Amino acid sequence: MSVLRVAPRTAVVLALASAAALATFTWPFFIPAHPESTARTGEAPLVFLVMLPVLVALVLAELSSGGIDSKALAMLGVLAAVNAALRPLGAGTAGIETVFFLLVLAGRVFGPGFGFLLGSTSLFASALLTAGVGPWLPFQMLCASWVGLGAGLLPTRLRGRAEVAVLAGYGAFAAYGYGLLMNLWFWPFSLGADTQLSYVAGAPVLDNLHRFAVFTAVTSTFGWDTGRAITTAVAVVLAGPAVLAALRRAARRAAFDAPVTFAAPAPQPAPSAATPVPGAPVAASGDVTGPAVGVAPPARRWLDEQSATAEEGGQGGGSHQAPQRPAD
Amino acid sequence: MTEHRDGVDAAAADPGSGPRHWSAARLPRGLHPGAWWLWALGLATAASHTTNPLLLALLVAVAALTVLRRRTDAPWALAFRMYLVLGAVIITMRVVFRIVFGGGQGEHLLVSLPEIPLPEWAAGIRLFGPVALEQVLGGFYDGLRLATMLVCLGAANALANPKRLLKAVPGALYAVGTAVVVALSVAPQLVESVLRVRRARRLRGATGRGMRALRGIALPVLADALDRSLALAAAMDSRGYGRTAAVPAGQRAATGALVLGGLVGVCAGTYGLLDSTGSGYLGLPMLLAGLAVAVTGMLLAGRRVHRSRYRPDRWHPAELLVAGCGIAAAAVTLLAGSVAPELLYPPVSPLTWPEVTPLMLLAVAAAAGPAWLAPPPPGSPSTRPPTVGTSGSTVAAPTRTGDPATSVPGGHP
Repeated sequence: MSVLRVAPRTAVVLALASAAALATFTWPFFIPAHPESTARTGEAPLVFLVMLPVLVALVLAELSSGGIDSKALAMLGVLAAVNAALRPLGAGTAGIETVFFLLVLAGRVFGPGFGFLLGSTSLFASALLTAGVGPWLPFQMLCASWVGLGAGLLPTRLRGRAEVAVLAGYGAFAAYGYGLLMNLWFWPFSLGADTQLSYVAGAPVLDNLHRFAVFTAVTSTFGWDTGRAITTAVAVVLAGPAVLAALRRAARRAAFDAPVTFAAPAPQPAPSAATPVPGAPVAASGDVTGPAVGVAPPARRWLDEQSATAEEGGQGGGSHQAPQRPAD
Repeated sequence: MTEHRDGVDAAAADPGSGPRHWSAARLPRGLHPGAWWLWALGLATAASHTTNPLLLALLVAVAALTVLRRRTDAPWALAFRMYLVLGAVIITMRVVFRIVFGGGQGEHLLVSLPEIPLPEWAAGIRLFGPVALEQVLGGFYDGLRLATMLVCLGAANALANPKRLLKAVPGALYAVGTAVVVALSVAPQLVESVLRVRRARRLRGATGRGMRALRGIALPVLADALDRSLALAAAMDSRGYGRTAAVPAGQRAATGALVLGGLVGVCAGTYGLLDSTGSGYLGLPMLLAGLAVAVTGMLLAGRRVHRSRYRPDRWHPAELLVAGCGIAAAAVTLLAGSVAPELLYPPVSPLTWPEVTPLMLLAVAAAAGPAWLAPPPPGSPSTRPPTVGTSGSTVAAPTRTGDPATSVPGGHP
């Protein structure tokens, strides 16, 4: 299922922005040898440092331009909070990385658009909580978003052990890819201009690629990235089935794709719960609990109290028969 | 630095505001986060245009001083030390990489380490070898510049309240900003959830150790969080979240065309920037124009979101003053660079002692201004007004209550 519908226009925007964003990672391979740009670190990195946050903002705005359903938004926020709380557990201890595990599983359950948003919001919230905001943050956000997007694009028919195996494999692959991209971003900044492993502007692509391969192998691929890949794969295998079940149960309870219809005629035609009209607040809120009747006592009770204080009695009966839920 | 003599006195000279407003302007309050970010970005810009270690050290000192004088006791304010450590790591990394991988450029040999040639697959790179003072110093200068920029950003992190900054996101990013606010508010509740589940487990006589305990705690906490998200969605719906303004189809198509066209321009500009055949007009101008067009489209798309603001954040004179200090520091450094570029980039290959000119000191003085010009932060937690801590956590509710019918139930349960 897909919680967030990705319209064709959004897909095109995502593809264009991703293509431009990829250049902000891989520019050391392609940058021509201008005499003035080799003299100092050059303007290109600074331009890209400014460009990428704008690109990320554009994609996020475009993805949410159709209006995010309040249930999807609350789910996004809560899962991002869990991710942000998971992240400090592993950070700094021998490459153990705990972010990707839930990101991959949630992307799988809630679809590519949601996975993309979850990757960005998770890392942003985690950076705010642990105050890790810096020039690297937009790059990390984008990489994590790609990871979540990819998890949502895996073949949908798989279930059971095959699904867990594919997700574990994807998690390991994504962990290596994330490490490689972030290394690539950090490569020009960590080395400076003139060591033997620095990029050489204007050199053949393969030559620079070779230097980067040595750099990443020496610094992190065999240590941090491997640790991250193993952590992610093991976590998916061990906890994957249970977490997938919990997420699917939540998705079913939320009934993201239930069409909303209003039983009582309203003064103005209201196409969805997203535009509550003044006359029918109970009908609008009934849409939330309606599909969950008998399954969600806390939310039900809470909402009933809310609507009881909000409305004079008599309309309460109409609220629960309002939404029509498809049989699934 | 130069203002040290009148620093303690709160009523130090400020030509901008009259005596009548002075006491009100000095009331403890949190400054607008945008002002701190502008100030810090100005400092970072200044740092990015020099490798003079004396000037960079002064900028770091100024950032640290301002943080110490004006930070609150919020969690994000306590992480400034982490940025200092990170800066030290960057400097060390640069120098160590230069020693391990660098060639032996320079005349003043410090030490001659034994060389280790790597095999053929490693591109014939050799490790260690002679270490020259120039090479180490070059790495140190470069690393110090990067570390200084980082510390400046860290100062903004420590001083600016991210929740208030999230309130100021443009309309098109409103949904994502709300999700982040939800995440920030829910994260502390997870701790409480963990404690509750553990207590319940202990009451049932379960041991609190091992892999089984982890699953027994983690899964109920996750389920609890997911349940909470449904309750939160119900609360948001009942308060009128998701109200959108009707936008004509033509305008929607126009914003879509702006975003798409701008992105095509960005792609073409990036290609031009990295293309070696030298199509100059395709490069930077195209990229910037594309970005501008796309951002315009995004801002127009944000008009679909209608929201009312609870306690809008305004810019007062103090905010302008703080932001102006940062911009002035950047401008004066750029000016110093155009006057005497060799002093901002002290050469290492004939070794020279770095110098500080009066112009650089002026930039540092401007950068240090907010340490005294900004109003003091809200004091102890007991006297702090409740809105500072909770304004973000309730943003899903009160900022959207434009509809009188839906705003009533939220207020009085």
